[in-house]
Amino acid sequence: MSYLTHAGRAEAFVLDHERTSWHDETLWFVRQKRDKAVYAVPEFQELRELASQIKNHTLSRLDFYLEQFEAAAQANGVQVHWAADAAEHNDTVLRIIRQRGASRVVKSKSMLTEECHLNPHLIAHGIEVIDTDLGERIIQMRDEPPSHIVLPAIHLKKEDVGDTFHQHLGTEKGLTDPQQLAEAARQHLRAKFLAGEVALTGVNFAIAETGSVVVCTNEGNADLGVSLAPVHVASMGIEKLIPRLSDLGVFTRLLARSATGQPVTTYTAHYTKPVAGRELHIIIVDNGRTQQLGRPDFRASLKCIRCGACMNTCPVYRRSGGHSYDFTVPGPIGSILSPNIDLKKHSTLPFASTLCGSCTDVCPVKIDIHTQLYKWRQIVAEANHLPTAKKLGLKFMGRLLASPAAFKISGSLGRKALRLLPHGLTHHHAANAWAIARELPEPPKQSFREWYQQQASPTA
Amino acid sequence: MSSARERILAATRANKPAETVLPAVPDFGGDASLARFTEVLASIGGTVERLLALEGLAGAVARLFPAARLVASPLFAGSLAIDQQTPVDVLADVDLAVLPVEFGVAENGAVWLPEANMLHRALPTVTQHLALVLDHRQLVATMHQGYARLAHGPGGYGLFVAGPSKTADIEQSLVIGAHGARSLVVLVY
Repeated sequence: MSYLTHAGRAEAFVLDHERTSWHDETLWFVRQKRDKAVYAVPEFQELRELASQIKNHTLSRLDFYLEQFEAAAQANGVQVHWAADAAEHNDTVLRIIRQRGASRVVKSKSMLTEECHLNPHLIAHGIEVIDTDLGERIIQMRDEPPSHIVLPAIHLKKEDVGDTFHQHLGTEKGLTDPQQLAEAARQHLRAKFLAGEVALTGVNFAIAETGSVVVCTNEGNADLGVSLAPVHVASMGIEKLIPRLSDLGVFTRLLARSATGQPVTTYTAHYTKPVAGRELHIIIVDNGRTQQLGRPDFRASLKCIRCGACMNTCPVYRRSGGHSYDFTVPGPIGSILSPNIDLKKHSTLPFASTLCGSCTDVCPVKIDIHTQLYKWRQIVAEANHLPTAKKLGLKFMGRLLASPAAFKISGSLGRKALRLLPHGLTHHHAANAWAIARELPEPPKQSFREWYQQQASPTA
Repeated sequence: MSSARERILAATRANKPAETVLPAVPDFGGDASLARFTEVLASIGGTVERLLALEGLAGAVARLFPAARLVASPLFAGSLAIDQQTPVDVLADVDLAVLPVEFGVAENGAVWLPEANMLHRALPTVTQHLALVLDHRQLVATMHQGYARLAHGPGGYGLFVAGPSKTADIEQSLVIGAHGARSLVVLVY
């Protein structure tokens, strides 16, 4: 089976120059807000190091913390479930909903449930699932996946939202005012919150010592949904654990600053015990995570706290859009998580990077993202998943760069060819993808080596 | 047949790296002033109002929220009676909740609202407007100091609330009042 490449999928996105530029500039603006917030905290780099060490430690004793968390949660009256994969997770959620005879579900943002494709599963079984995060609700109405983990509808313009709400909520045609659109969504979703029978949430952090789960939102949709519905189901990957409540001091200082440049999310909710007569279920999910834990070069990807900073800063993500990655988590972090799930399908993602290292620089838990991208490339090549042209090209370049004589000759030939061959050939799209939107530089008359030899000859 | 639990724990045990140290998190100190708290809260869409004394609370609420008809608060008489058994349709009509908070965090404008202070778990988010009452002596500089105050645990449910509910999901335009409270005032006495 063949798959579209990242570049192939990005082609549709970059066709609209204006939108591509807007996307690029908007995400860069979020990156700048992040910088402003980060520079205002003198100990920010120390916090990154602490967060990294806490996550490293947790992974090194993950079995212990999982059991500690389970015991503490059960002592709090929480029902803990385990799911090895997406299917087990989805079946567990459906079973809990059916046990209550419920059919109306309100859901706050959870990348794990996106990863498990929970919504289609529930809907196929007759359950109404309403995404309550505004961005998630917009893309749910449009039947699209999120294009960013924190800003799920960042690929859309207000005109798109206006059209969608006109169609689904009956707002005035041509309405584009964000305030009025958000108000329409508030009214629509409030009715859903009040009628919700089961509330689903993700988990930002799970505290081993107290058995609590922590959910961070700006809209308040998680808390509103959970606090009104009789049943709360929280889904978490095994990597969400942190040992101590006090560790949240580190992570809550890093998360929102890294994500959007806010000093903290509006709501940081700590769910520890259900109200008497109500239910709190926590589903602990593996779905490939223990396998990634066993890959020494790549296990650090499990430290991710899903802030999205690596996306906002990535020059490739900003100009290709989240949908070009065709994976639940797009951007640099998605490109090191996805090959673990399906190497062949996602084989072009580790190449969707300039290896500039900006992702690594902004990562609040110090994941060596660009190093892992480079290492995945070796594995993709060894597994023979490189396109033929790239494979041969790399082989050729490898030989050429290893031989000073070959390098010298080809450099001289290249400079001559660029001068003599017609522009239509040197810049042909099929022969030179680099030149699709760029001009090759004017070829210099001599190479650096030739110039250097002239300088080095003693004149005195 | 082994359960998912056993399989996950076994795979975790088999695949985890060599144990590393859990670091101690220092207290980084910082500015715990009301001026800092006020400035940060304003930057995230909330406001601080000073009360001369807690006794003046009901008057201040009436002055600040003249249009609020249904007001819920454990702090003064004459307000709507709300507890954890209150039905959803009653909660849905609350205009204003006035709730005491335990402490504020100057670095980010957040306040700690434990379950015991909420009347109903949904009240802080279902109410149209939210006023939180804070003792000016109960300010800490950072989240580290905030969590140090929760040494006995976070309770059954507890919230850090920093400003009013907001969203920027439509073209990154900030809209205050997404699903939760449309406005947030911290009344400092």
